[in-house]
Amino acid sequence: MLVQDDLLAPEVLRDPYTYFARLRQEAPVHWNDRWGGWLVTRYEDVVRAFRDPERLSSDRMAHFQRELTPHDRERLHVLIQYFSRWLVFTDPPYHTRVRMLVNKAFTPTSVERLRPRVRQIVHDLLAAAARRRHMEFVREFAFHLPVIVISEYLGVPPEDREAVKEWSDETSRIFFIRADDPDRRERSQAGLIRLLEYFEPLIHDRRRNPRDDLISALVQAEERGDLLSHDELLATCTVLLFAGHETTTNLLANGLLALLRHRDQWEMLRQDPSLTRSATEELLRYDGPVKATFRWARVDVELGGKTLRAGDRMLLVLASANRDPEKFPEPDRVDITRNPNPHVAFGHGIHVCLGAPLARVEAQEAFAALVQHFPHLRLAREDLEYHPTIVSRALVELPVEW
Amino acid sequence: MRRLRIEVDLHRCVGSSICVLTAPRTFTLNTHGQSSVVDPEGDPLEVVLEAAEGCPTMAITVFDADTGEQLFP
Repeated sequence: MLVQDDLLAPEVLRDPYTYFARLRQEAPVHWNDRWGGWLVTRYEDVVRAFRDPERLSSDRMAHFQRELTPHDRERLHVLIQYFSRWLVFTDPPYHTRVRMLVNKAFTPTSVERLRPRVRQIVHDLLAAAARRRHMEFVREFAFHLPVIVISEYLGVPPEDREAVKEWSDETSRIFFIRADDPDRRERSQAGLIRLLEYFEPLIHDRRRNPRDDLISALVQAEERGDLLSHDELLATCTVLLFAGHETTTNLLANGLLALLRHRDQWEMLRQDPSLTRSATEELLRYDGPVKATFRWARVDVELGGKTLRAGDRMLLVLASANRDPEKFPEPDRVDITRNPNPHVAFGHGIHVCLGAPLARVEAQEAFAALVQHFPHLRLAREDLEYHPTIVSRALVELPVEW
Repeated sequence: MRRLRIEVDLHRCVGSSICVLTAPRTFTLNTHGQSSVVDPEGDPLEVVLEAAEGCPTMAITVFDADTGEQLFP
């Protein structure tokens, strides 16, 4: 039977897992004609692809440029110039150099020091909502926590946070491919230019007055010359700011929804806070924030019995790998005690999410606080909608009450 | 010189390669793309500890081979 190829069909947006389960069964490496690329859905194939950066490139801008007319290439040159220095879109050796440089700031040990502050922010946000009997969780909580945390860590002053968040959201338009956003490239570049203009003086300031923040640390790396150029520094500031926003918001909202829909797990977590870490991993696996991530074949590659040709693009479907029964027993069950839990919600291999340790701290603190302070929290509405995007699993709203 | 025992938890290792890049005489990637110890004394202790701390999933545990003392995490 032919699998329908509309990744933005309402039933696929609502429940991508049933759709991907069928692909995994019937066509685990499938050419999606409508999207014009391969969908890789089995855990084993996804992991194999992640471990092959020499043949499967992450260089999105190289392929993006190829699709543009010379006129558009000129018009979008700022976007191309900086995005082609973003860690996520680069291959070794550039990727290796910059990743090693920023990695120290995001190790589990480094971000553990932020935990008390993250806990404080979680409590402040929840205290503001607690006076009422209801909240829209995405807008009132999940949206704010990651912005506050990464802004403080980078060294963005509180009064600039809102503006920076807005420019970052504009910048992101180009990545979250949506059905309804025709001028997304232009808006993305405009947002990026605002961010670059914002960071330029901040960087100059930290050069003169270094502080205990990430921008100062990156500036010092820049000053060691061979490590980071000024453009690379600007690109890295923007990608760090951007990368944690929407993804962490979705991790928080999807995770809360899964807990609310599996009340036994909610109760179990409430009674045993020591399960917070394994619960967070399970929520990442069960309904993580990123459905899929891109790669481009540099040469012909055999994968899952199919031949991918040089130049072909593919989606490595994390949401499917994480529900593969070959890897996870009872994959459609939420089990917050699951161990081991080698999910690929943060990717795998050299591009594994840099911010994963920080996202984990934020999610752990949020889930632990929610079950403790709002024991009777429940969904206020069952019919939830998702944003029409291929790569992210993003609830439009998550209304809850207590 | 202090002798080390280094363990890599393969359920946690995601093949980021950071340990291999940090301490290339101690770690290598095996055929499955996961970290494997080639020589526990291949690099100085502080380099091995930096590699262990750099791991995004805390997959590496470092012990003093003689006393059994856990040096990281």
